[in-house]
Amino acid sequence: MAPAVAGVGWIIALILLATTFKVLNKRMDDRQITLMAVLAAGIFVAQMLNFPIGGGTTGHLLGAALATIILGPLAGILILTTILTIQALVFGDGGLTALGLNILNMAIIGSLVAWYAYIALRKWNINAAVFAAAFSSVFAAALAAAAQLAVSHSLSGGVYGISGAIAFPAMAAFHLLIGIGEAIITSSVVLYIARVSPGMLKLPKLTLATFKKEAIADA
Amino acid sequence: MHDLLDKRNLKIFAGILLLFAIGLVGFYIFSVEYGDGLEVTMEEAGVDEPEPFYSGLLGYGDNYLGSLAMGIIGFFVTLLAVYLLARLLRKNEA
Repeated sequence: MAPAVAGVGWIIALILLATTFKVLNKRMDDRQITLMAVLAAGIFVAQMLNFPIGGGTTGHLLGAALATIILGPLAGILILTTILTIQALVFGDGGLTALGLNILNMAIIGSLVAWYAYIALRKWNINAAVFAAAFSSVFAAALAAAAQLAVSHSLSGGVYGISGAIAFPAMAAFHLLIGIGEAIITSSVVLYIARVSPGMLKLPKLTLATFKKEAIADA
Repeated sequence: MHDLLDKRNLKIFAGILLLFAIGLVGFYIFSVEYGDGLEVTMEEAGVDEPEPFYSGLLGYGDNYLGSLAMGIIGFFVTLLAVYLLARLLRKNEA
């Protein structure tokens, strides 16, 4: 990735994370914090389990949609950011220079896209909403990464990144399949939780809209 | 911290880690040799990943038991990091 693109990714990610953390600290109860920690740990180990998607390629759970559906997008952002940071710092996975872009793509874009897909469809069909949220979180994050590779290639005259003509179709094709895997796993876990612990799915969601409404009510 | 380590949560941890131990068998049988979508895209485009200037304190392990141990370490590091970060954020507000 071109250093300029990685740098801009860091700046955007840090601004959005600062906003997320500022909003998040206003309302997190003990149950939400405990569940956030358990979910994060579970998603960390799930991300280690790559599954084959054919053609000598694998994918793994992202988990942004799962965290977002259970606790809201701001919790999803915090969970995925922590996981990505631990992967980079402790396990040397993903790299430190690319961490800003990884946070932007997987934690922020992944969680927000999952949330808006979920709320757009949940009144129509909850199962379809979960499936679409999980699929779209992976696909959107992959397209964002493809765009960053293409911009890097263009800005650096081909020294960094990949041409958009290669990056977009390749990333879209692989992540179409990985997204379906994500959707199947996420739907299975949500269905399981709905059966064994339905209260977990009814916890208040940590979203920006909730805080805005509360701020207006408090004023 | 006691709420995180109550009996119910300890059972959930054991359940998740048991599923991970089973899933890791599948990973070593079906996936260990292959790259993920981004890695394969980079490889097909002929992009060599540069040598990282920082390679982390630990790796993910290169055999079943090593990966299992790293997964368990990662599980508890992540659990504590998110728990403490969320607590810290809330404390700062109060």
